[in-house]
Parts: sequence; C-alpha cells; structure tokens
Amino acid sequence: MQFVRLVVFGFIALSVIYLSISLYSRSVRREWLEKEFDADPPEGADDAMRDAYIAKGMTEYNNSIRPKLIGLVYVVPIVAVSVIVYVINTN
Amino acid sequence: MRKIKITLRVLALLIFGLLFHYVLPQHDVVKITSTEIIRTDFSALNRIFYAQADSGATEQPTRDLRLINTQKQKTFLLGFIPRDVSTVMVYRNEDTGWIWPPYFKFDSSDLQAEAANLAKGDEWVVITHYGWRIRWASIYPNAIAVRTVPGPDVSIIPWFNIVFFVFLMVAILFIRAMWRQFRERSIDPLLDTAGHHVDEVQAGMAERKGRISRWLGTWRKKDNTRTPSE
Repeated sequence: MQFVRLVVFGFIALSVIYLSISLYSRSVRREWLEKEFDADPPEGADDAMRDAYIAKGMTEYNNSIRPKLIGLVYVVPIVAVSVIVYVINTN
Repeated sequence: MRKIKITLRVLALLIFGLLFHYVLPQHDVVKITSTEIIRTDFSALNRIFYAQADSGATEQPTRDLRLINTQKQKTFLLGFIPRDVSTVMVYRNEDTGWIWPPYFKFDSSDLQAEAANLAKGDEWVVITHYGWRIRWASIYPNAIAVRTVPGPDVSIIPWFNIVFFVFLMVAILFIRAMWRQFRERSIDPLLDTAGHHVDEVQAGMAERKGRISRWLGTWRKKDNTRTPSE
C-alpha cells in the first residue's frame, strides 16, 4: 500500500517536473531562434518570414533528441531508488 | 518590510537546516555493547520521530522496537573534528520501508543480527544513521548500516552528502533560471501591455489638462510672459 502511494505521488511529482522542464526548454529554444533571426534578418524580412523561421526551428527542435532526453526525469529517480534499495539492503 | 524579509529567510534557512540535519545520513564511530528490544507506546509528541512497523507487517498503536546500545566517540562540528572523549548512544533500528525518509531500508532484522554479532567482540564500527537523540521525549536516531573499521581515528568522507548538496545547488540554480525565463517571456509582456494602457490613459489626461490651461492662459494679461507649459 505504501509502495502504491509512493508510486502514485512520485509519478505526480515527476510529471510536474517533466512538464516544467519541457516548457522551459521550448521557451529557451524559441527565444534563441527569435534572437538569431533578429540578429541577421534577410533582405525584406517581415513578421510572416520571422514566424515561419521560428516555426521551422521549433519543428526541428521537436524532432531532435533533446525533448526526448527530458524523459530521463522519469528514468533517473527510478534507477536511483533501485540503487539505494540495493545498497542499503545488502550487507 | 526589509526586516520581515530577513526574518522569513532566516526562518526558512533554519527549517531546512534542521530538516537536512535530521534526514541526511551521519556517521558515528562506536563500539556496540549490546542490542535489545523494548515495548514502545508512542505518544502524539514522539510518534513522528519513529518510522513504522516492519515492512509488510501491520501497524499497531504499540509495538516492539529494536535498539542498539553503543559507546560512541564524541566529536565536534557534526563529526568533522574528532575528540578523545566517549559517551553512550542508543540507536533504534526500524524499517523505513517506502515512507519518509527515503532510505528504503527493509533489513532491520539483518542489521540487528549484525549488531548482535559485533556486540560480542571489541571492534570499532562506523554506524550510519539519521535522526536525533532527544532524551526527554525518548527519541532515538535510526541506524541504517554498520561496518567495522580498524580503529577509532578513521576519517570518513560523507560522499552521499557531498553529492546531495551539489545536486541541490544545481537544482536551485536551474529552478531560478526557469523562473527568470518564465518571468521574462510570460509575465513581463503582460505587465508591459498593462503598463502601456496606463501610460495611454495618463497621456490622455495630461493632454486634456494642457488644453484647459492653454484656454485659461488666453484670459491672462498680454504682458504675462509665462508660457502655458509652465
């Protein structure tokens, strides 16, 4: 029963962390793309071109491995708990 | 306002400091003298300083508690400075199971057997534990593990605590970076828009005021050199 409680609340806590980190990571990437475009805009650049550039960059980001690495938020604590259980309970 | 801020910060630091001091593992150099089991009736005061019935067993208001009696080397500064003085220390030996604090300890019986074995000899051991000994409320630190050492003057490096505090610093800096990003990208634009509206309203009022004072100025004497803007 205590194990179920740990799993349920652990899952909720890790999900909050996962969502926060993915939002943060996307926000940083978007800001980076905006700054990159603004630093060296092509000839006759307008808002539509800027939006398209950022949308393209975000699609590239979504298809890259970086957002998938945030899934480690779930993996690392499970590994850590397993290691602690093993270390503490062996003589 | 400043004083309240400082007070709150000191209070937060104190609470977290006490929490970490209670929960993080510490190492004592001891000689185990005996082990025993006592019947324990918990009170509302000291119940939170105990864990639970053995993992897999059911919780009762009263239960047996494993204790490890030792002769402990005294130290200064959380064990960093050794001393040549010894005292007695009693540890409880309870399963933490899947509950707080997260030691995931299920082997209390094994640890008790080890302690009983060591109590026969005269060996020095390092006992890893968390918690406090509070005598007036019958509260004991919880022993986690024992290992034998050659002598009382061993130097123990608290690896887990080092890793823990490094991780904590990284986590705090990361949360700060996240918060700043959130403020810069989500809150500030909203405030800017709101501030812009306020500016427009204020500019409109100033404009109307200006018109009225200019109109009043037309009624003043012609030799008055003051301009309406003054």
